[in-house]
Amino acid sequence: MHRRTFFRLLAAAAAPTSLVTSRRRLATPLRAKAQSSQIPSGLPVLRVVSSYAPAPMPGMPGPYPGRVVSVKSEKCVDTATGTANDEVVREMMARGMRTLTGARTTPDAWRRFFQPSDQVGIKVNCGGYPYCISAYEIVAEVVRQLTGIGVRASQIYVYERFQNQMDEVNYAPHLPEGVQIVAAERANRNVDNSGYDPAVYLEADLFGEDDTRSSMMRLVSTRLTKIINIPNMKDHGAAGVTGCLKNIAYGSFSNVARTHQRGKSHTYSVIGTLASIEPLRSRTVLQIMDGLRGVWHGGPFARTAKYVFYPRQIMFGTDPVAIDRLLLDIIEHERRAHGAISIWDRSPASLKMDDSQARDEDPNVNILIREPGHVEYASTFGLGVYDRSKITIEGVTV
Amino acid sequence: MTPLVLALVALPCVYWTEGVESKARLEAASIKRICVAPEQVDAWRAAGFSVSPITAAELASREVLPGPGVTARAGLASPTRAPWIVANGWRFSRNAGAKYVYDVAPGTAALAAAEAFAYDADAILKIDPADLQAVGAMMTFLNGVPAADLPAIADLAVVDDGAAVTGEVMNLLARRNLLFKVVKAPSPEFRINIALGTPDYPLQEAADPSAFAQKIRRQLTDQQRSVRVYGSEIVICRLTGDRQRVRLHLINYGGAEIDGLRIRLRGAYRGGEAYIAGAGRVALEDQVVANGATEFSIPRLTTYAVIDLTGVH
Repeated sequence: MHRRTFFRLLAAAAAPTSLVTSRRRLATPLRAKAQSSQIPSGLPVLRVVSSYAPAPMPGMPGPYPGRVVSVKSEKCVDTATGTANDEVVREMMARGMRTLTGARTTPDAWRRFFQPSDQVGIKVNCGGYPYCISAYEIVAEVVRQLTGIGVRASQIYVYERFQNQMDEVNYAPHLPEGVQIVAAERANRNVDNSGYDPAVYLEADLFGEDDTRSSMMRLVSTRLTKIINIPNMKDHGAAGVTGCLKNIAYGSFSNVARTHQRGKSHTYSVIGTLASIEPLRSRTVLQIMDGLRGVWHGGPFARTAKYVFYPRQIMFGTDPVAIDRLLLDIIEHERRAHGAISIWDRSPASLKMDDSQARDEDPNVNILIREPGHVEYASTFGLGVYDRSKITIEGVTV
Repeated sequence: MTPLVLALVALPCVYWTEGVESKARLEAASIKRICVAPEQVDAWRAAGFSVSPITAAELASREVLPGPGVTARAGLASPTRAPWIVANGWRFSRNAGAKYVYDVAPGTAALAAAEAFAYDADAILKIDPADLQAVGAMMTFLNGVPAADLPAIADLAVVDDGAAVTGEVMNLLARRNLLFKVVKAPSPEFRINIALGTPDYPLQEAADPSAFAQKIRRQLTDQQRSVRVYGSEIVICRLTGDRQRVRLHLINYGGAEIDGLRIRLRGAYRGGEAYIAGAGRVALEDQVVANGATEFSIPRLTTYAVIDLTGVH
């Protein structure tokens, strides 16, 4: 087995200072207007700084707002062992992409999104190691399809925020030589900032913290032209679920753990705001939700198999809100099946603040008031369709 | 007195009790200046060291400082994001002319030396011999920092009544990089004058100095703060300067190197360079001046860095 060297995209690779200066624009307010009676009052003031202009058609929601292709297969994972069937996964991927795009061939489907000149980021999720990460089989198939349409391996970047998580998961043996594996920080210790762009950030004072900025990864702002988002189907202690929106938002910005503490979670408004920041929003052109495996409690982590389940499906789309809207139901359904409290539960009786041990032992314990409403709130930025009745699901069975 | 002499005077002094036969260890650590008992002065001078005599009585008369660094205090500070910092800068600001002695735990002597230097404090370091190399390296670095005799910059004033609670308020203000000047009476120089026990700043509020500091932050507003730090919650700043230039001291209490630390200084400054302990002279990165503020990143921060910038007029 070989392992390529992980690296961070450091300051030297960023735009020269003069460019950074010209890109910088202070005080660009980007608060979503309240469009729903359910939006709570007292949301924090969030200030976005980015001088990147949106693409003519931003990647989110992209060409298929409100449309989700769900490919299911009973054979994709052996639920006794958790092992995925590579061949079945490939077929699910091919069918999903063709159905989404209407293309006659699988390469044509990929060509709808990518050109050989693109620098393509693949935002994986490694937080659920060892039981629920962006599957090797899916990531490898994405790379195979990209290289198949002419994107060189060296132009493909599998990325995540923390190198220690990438080390654990270790995608390298599953990928061709040349694919870049990039993390912004060695670990979640708040000491590595060079991998982030100081000119693109969200500024917010949420709990009186002194470090009020969350900056976009330099890889995203200065290198990538397209991004494929591969989240998992997971519960999340602060956000309710962690799907497309949370994976792309909190996985591309620094200093986001500060948004939830001591029972209170600001994920409600921060997730959608981060996802809407350019150039992340425009460049994230494809959502592939890995539902081979899932986590119905204790997320985003999966250090125990106790809360793992097997949806055995992959969802395809360009609308992160629509996919996450479906995810809310999937996680909620699974929790109900196990007799656990709802992800919408806001009862103080369920709250054991900061007691992650109690949360891990008991699915009826929250350590924070979850904010699954973040999905709907994200829709107010135009990131996608939340109304379930307006979401079209095209089911495919392999 | 020349600036160079000022700089030398500001260097903290390592207190050394071993005899001159131990000189090889000091030389190996590049430590050339020590404080010793009066009866040892001649021998050490003969051995080529710069020596300051210090009697046991004088040593005992100095204010003893706690070793600087980060410590866990359950329920008071998060272990990862905003841990409890033991720092002495506020003491130096409060009693500028006082004399101090650090009796530091292993591993923190270099940090103590940097802290004392940053505040021009008259401090003696009682160190663990295992820290000799680290202290020597820090002293060599401090000795090489260009001299700068600049007044401290502050955004607000604290009226010092000598009370312990006032000291704790100063501690938490410093912890949050809310730059203050210690005054004997409210100063018209500042919009905010904190006088504990007044209607604006009741004593009860100061019973929670962290919340109190947060109140002051809100009053001042982040936009009006002379210095902001992004990318860490364990770096404490001291800012000095005049109309021509500023010097920013960055003290990293966390023990782990920080890369890409982002700084915002109110005002327009150009050029600038960083002197970073362990790294030497380093260029600033991603420097921008906009909206009345200057921002830049420093590629890495070890224990201590000094940043000099020139004002734009």
